[in-house]
Amino acid sequence: MSSEQAEFTEFFQASWEPCLRAVVAVVGSPQLAEDQVAEAFTRAWMSWRKVSHHPAPRAWVVRTALNTGASWWRRRSLELPLADHDVTAPGDLASGLDVALLTAIWRLPRRQREVIALRIFLDLDTDTIARQMRIEAGTVRMHLSRGVAALRHELTPDKTTEASQ
Amino acid sequence: MNVHDEMSDADVLRAAADSLSAIPVPSAPDTATIITTGRARRRRRRMAGLSIAGTAAVTVVALGLSGAVGSISHQPSGSTSHQPTHPAHAQLAAWTVTRLADGDISVTINQFKDPAGLQSTLRADGVPASVTFASQRDQACQPYPGGTVSPGSGSPSPLRPSALLKQVFPDPYQVLGPTPGTGPARMVKAPGPPSPTPSGNRIVIVIDPSALPRNAGVQLASSNAAATNLLLPAVVYASPQCTG
Repeated sequence: MSSEQAEFTEFFQASWEPCLRAVVAVVGSPQLAEDQVAEAFTRAWMSWRKVSHHPAPRAWVVRTALNTGASWWRRRSLELPLADHDVTAPGDLASGLDVALLTAIWRLPRRQREVIALRIFLDLDTDTIARQMRIEAGTVRMHLSRGVAALRHELTPDKTTEASQ
Repeated sequence: MNVHDEMSDADVLRAAADSLSAIPVPSAPDTATIITTGRARRRRRRMAGLSIAGTAAVTVVALGLSGAVGSISHQPSGSTSHQPTHPAHAQLAAWTVTRLADGDISVTINQFKDPAGLQSTLRADGVPASVTFASQRDQACQPYPGGTVSPGSGSPSPLRPSALLKQVFPDPYQVLGPTPGTGPARMVKAPGPPSPTPSGNRIVIVIDPSALPRNAGVQLASSNAAATNLLLPAVVYASPQCTG
């Protein structure tokens, strides 16, 4: 095995799950995400000399996977992501999951989901997320703030009611 | 007391992470599958490039050019129609397309001729492309968000490339000296501002196909306004009408 191949293999094995989970958080379907992330890693290998020097190679994979997904959605004329059957239905999930919270995550606008996914699964700071998403850092902060606020509302309404009684 | 106040942003993100992490996801496929698939695609690209190179490779030898830096190089096959009138430049092809070792594609333009040939060569190399020289940009092409330069602040206002442009056109947009290989190269910030080009100068544009969104292509358009040829690369939405 060449050193280049060994380096890629190490990166792939360490990065598969966080990248996949980040994409699942955005697209909602583990099966769809798996296809997109596999495609993204294939492209990463094809351009490994470049990707290996990327400041955030995992973010490169996630961005590529999500771009692939955008095309996939368009080819199927599904202009509204997460609108229908490709989102994992709550009934498909194993018991014990916080289905209400997952539903709330997938109801967030896509940009908010992307920012949250990059933050929690790739541990990227605001500036790096901004560069990856090609938006301003202030816009990242806005998406994160709004997304967190919406999730906080989903997480605590009952407790709030109880507390106010 | 409102429990909202007790849940920090970090708590909310942790709860979201816990919930998302509990979703069963497929384990990683065998790395060999990824590597094999990638290699097969590289091979197919090379074969496609080589089959198109054909006559062009002969042209390279006949013209005595050795400027290609990668493994694959394309030039217009009808070389006689692209030779400039000035004797000093008679050896130059109008343009050359070269695939670099890292997968990037380098386009060298000596003369604004045979845009259709350049366009089809780029497409054959897997880059959705629209190329127009000395005419209007293809009206069928719609700019991709962030795909064109925007004016910056200041006077005169510099052209400010977006992050997308910097990724798709990763190397500085270059206008080299009057005769290739002689004189210092003049570097212009990628991918603009546009600079006058031939006679005498040549332009080298590097394209990173992997940075293109799947539904996007590149547009290379020059205008002939005020007797000054300008070239400005852009990213546009891919469509059959625009990028093939």
